[in-house]
Amino acid sequence: MVSLVRTLRNMRRAGLKEWWRQMQYIGDAKYGRFVGKDQFGNRYFENLNPEEEIPGRHRWVDYAQHEFHASQVPPEWHSWIHHIRQSPPTEDAVVKSLTPPWQAPWVENLTGTRGAFKTYNTAGPKIQPWEPKVTARGA
Amino acid sequence: MRVPRTWLPTGVAPRIPLNLVASSPRAALVARRLLSSTAPARAEPIHHHDPLMSDLEAKVHRKKHEHPHLFDAKGNEIDPYKGGPSAIDKAVHLFFFTEIIRGMWVVLEQFFREPYTIMYPFEKGPLSPRFRGEHALRRYPSGEERCIACKLCEAICPAQAITIESEARMDGSRRTTKYDIDMTKCIYCGFCQEACPVDAIVETQNQEFATETREELLYNKEKLLANGDRAEAEIAANLYADHVYR
Repeated sequence: MVSLVRTLRNMRRAGLKEWWRQMQYIGDAKYGRFVGKDQFGNRYFENLNPEEEIPGRHRWVDYAQHEFHASQVPPEWHSWIHHIRQSPPTEDAVVKSLTPPWQAPWVENLTGTRGAFKTYNTAGPKIQPWEPKVTARGA
Repeated sequence: MRVPRTWLPTGVAPRIPLNLVASSPRAALVARRLLSSTAPARAEPIHHHDPLMSDLEAKVHRKKHEHPHLFDAKGNEIDPYKGGPSAIDKAVHLFFFTEIIRGMWVVLEQFFREPYTIMYPFEKGPLSPRFRGEHALRRYPSGEERCIACKLCEAICPAQAITIESEARMDGSRRTTKYDIDMTKCIYCGFCQEACPVDAIVETQNQEFATETREELLYNKEKLLANGDRAEAEIAANLYADHVYR
């Protein structure tokens, strides 16, 4: 609990249900503008008031999954939440125009699961085994 | 808790919540104090005129109880300790542990401040568009892969983490058949993306690719192309943000 006044204020603003969810995950009562939701259901918030949020803590994500992981943020929102881009991808004209139609769906870091990357050789074999060719006798 | 710092004569600096009620007329008079923008109220180092001078000579040859006599313009002697604390003041501070209390007060007020700690997976620190993270191989907007197997990245890589083999494709263009990066060797210097003439190999801003086993970090061409396909919008936007400086 950071500050009693701040906790009570954000609890009142966000509502008890939202506050309980925050306590289960972020561990801090936060309240801010709902910026958007990505394709996985993660919700993104922002509070630019320096009196209410320490600058640097003013953008946050509420993960949809219970087993949350930092790599569940897709790249467009990743650049927003890391403060690389100022505006969220729902409003960013540059990100929108540079998204190709063949862009693949984002996959989180699957290490430790069956989906973990397993490397393989992409080139053909350099050494062929000897294949004996026997010429027929008396031919 | 944004409260002004008022100094009591004892030297203890309590933070009295004067402007907790924002509507009071006093709040307008009290200067706004943000934790992020004010200087800390701790001791600052004293800057001498010559920082390299040790003053050792003067200290060695100093006679005891000899103070230089100071005179003003009229020739009257000045007491240099006139405005300073008296012996009783010093004794009070000594016997009532005011310095200890002052130190403990600093700890106490830090205890009630909101921390600067970033709750990491939910809040993330700022990154540059030039941040060098996980590698990716990019494609042209048409979907054609960019890499032409010139091997400049392989040549410049200081850690020799890149291995490339190439062949002519069916249409006669040269493409890589093997583009391996050993991410355990890579030192993330970014020379590969600087050497690349077609912006094929880039380092994305993804830093959350830690793995459980070492084998997962031996990236091959398919993995690098998949990285590029997933993050193409972010990569292209970052390159666009940086294009005026390149």
